[in-house]
Amino acid sequence: MNRKRIIKRKFNKHMKKYIISIFALIIAAFAWVRCTDYPIDEDGLLITTRAQCYVSNFELLGTDYQTVRTKAAVIDTTAQTIDVEVFYGTDLKNLWPQFTLVTDAKLDPKITGFVDFSNLTTPKQWTVVAGNRKIKKTYTVNVTVQAKP
Amino acid sequence: MKRIYFIFTLPLLFAIVFSACTEEEYTVPEAKTEFQNDCIKRSLGPNIVGLNIEFVYAMALGEQAGKITSAQVEASIAGATGTYLENNSYYTNNSGVDIPVLIGNPSATTGTKTEVVFTKDTCAAALRYYYMIPEEARGKTVSFKFSAKASTGESVSYEMGPYTIAKMDMKLDLVLSDNNKLYLSVADMAVYNAAEAASNAAKIDLVYLYRAITGITFAHALASPATDPEYLPGVTLPSGVTNNTRFVKVYGLRDQQLARLQYGIFIDDVDFEKIDFTNVPNYGINMKLDSGAWIETADGKYRAYIFVNKVDNTKKEMTISIKRYTMK
Repeated sequence: MNRKRIIKRKFNKHMKKYIISIFALIIAAFAWVRCTDYPIDEDGLLITTRAQCYVSNFELLGTDYQTVRTKAAVIDTTAQTIDVEVFYGTDLKNLWPQFTLVTDAKLDPKITGFVDFSNLTTPKQWTVVAGNRKIKKTYTVNVTVQAKP
Repeated sequence: MKRIYFIFTLPLLFAIVFSACTEEEYTVPEAKTEFQNDCIKRSLGPNIVGLNIEFVYAMALGEQAGKITSAQVEASIAGATGTYLENNSYYTNNSGVDIPVLIGNPSATTGTKTEVVFTKDTCAAALRYYYMIPEEARGKTVSFKFSAKASTGESVSYEMGPYTIAKMDMKLDLVLSDNNKLYLSVADMAVYNAAEAASNAAKIDLVYLYRAITGITFAHALASPATDPEYLPGVTLPSGVTNNTRFVKVYGLRDQQLARLQYGIFIDDVDFEKIDFTNVPNYGINMKLDSGAWIETADGKYRAYIFVNKVDNTKKEMTISIKRYTMK
């Protein structure tokens, strides 16, 4: 009987140790996760180490959310220009530009709705900001309207 | 310690297994014998003047108890001509087809009440009620009280509504043709030829044209008379046709009442109020099947949604359907 009691006491002692260790580990894990400092920018987006900074694709939609491009936009990442021809009769005052950027990059200013492209002599510009938020490249969007023969 | 756990857990497991396996005795529920009724609204979407609101009114009493003698619907606003309660009860056969069974005389409508008197000895029926929305109900709400009487002296009733009747109007399948009826009047919800347009000049809001121009995509177009003549090539407008209609092109907004397709989209009064017509053009070229446009007339009195039901390049025609909302 005494032997049984001793075994039980030892078992309980061991259990207590294990439980305390597990709790300590969990608390340490939480503390580590909470304290790790991931840098984020003013938009709450992660700042990474990526330095690439370019536009990979460009789309232009009308009020009917259909493309107004006559063909694929020509993106020159060296000259930082996007040349896009739109259909004859396109309403240039209400166009929704859509940029596809390299991973982690972002666009400035943000596009929140339809944009007025009607002033063809003053093309619109957007700046691509790389994932590391240190490199910035300004792209000019040149819109031309399909000419009537 | 392990043994203690085992001793405590085993009975618990048994209890769970037994409780999960206990079968409950099923008994067929007994049908109620007292007179009872139920009603559903069958039609969907906004209730528009000139269209029906459709209901199915079901009533039944115990087979041995008696028979139904009459059914009646009372609307809060009298229905227009074409309002009726069916004198057929329907059941659906194995092929899914609704089969009518005559149960009484054709319904009689007096004022707001529509009644069917039963001639068949029946203890159950499901009658359809079609309420033709009258002009008086525009912008108001309408309610319905369905009721039925049985030979036992019992009577039942069921109230439906209130349902809001839309302020907007609707016109289906107007055919615009490049060589004849190319003028559209939103005020009249009609299409006109040049001579008719000249005599209704102030009401002409849009001009239809079809052009196959090499090098550009023009095709089917709707342009306001005041638009740049560039978008009205070869069109000589009748004198006085000068309205500047605001035009917002859309695609894929297939309102079920206009398109009569399977899409569960309905344009209602509130949608017209929300459209922003600032800085919008006064034309739309290359209009395709299933495309459409929100428009606002030059005087701001009407806003409308035009849906393109059909385009025909050979005939140079476009079939459109319109929902129109009066703003002022």
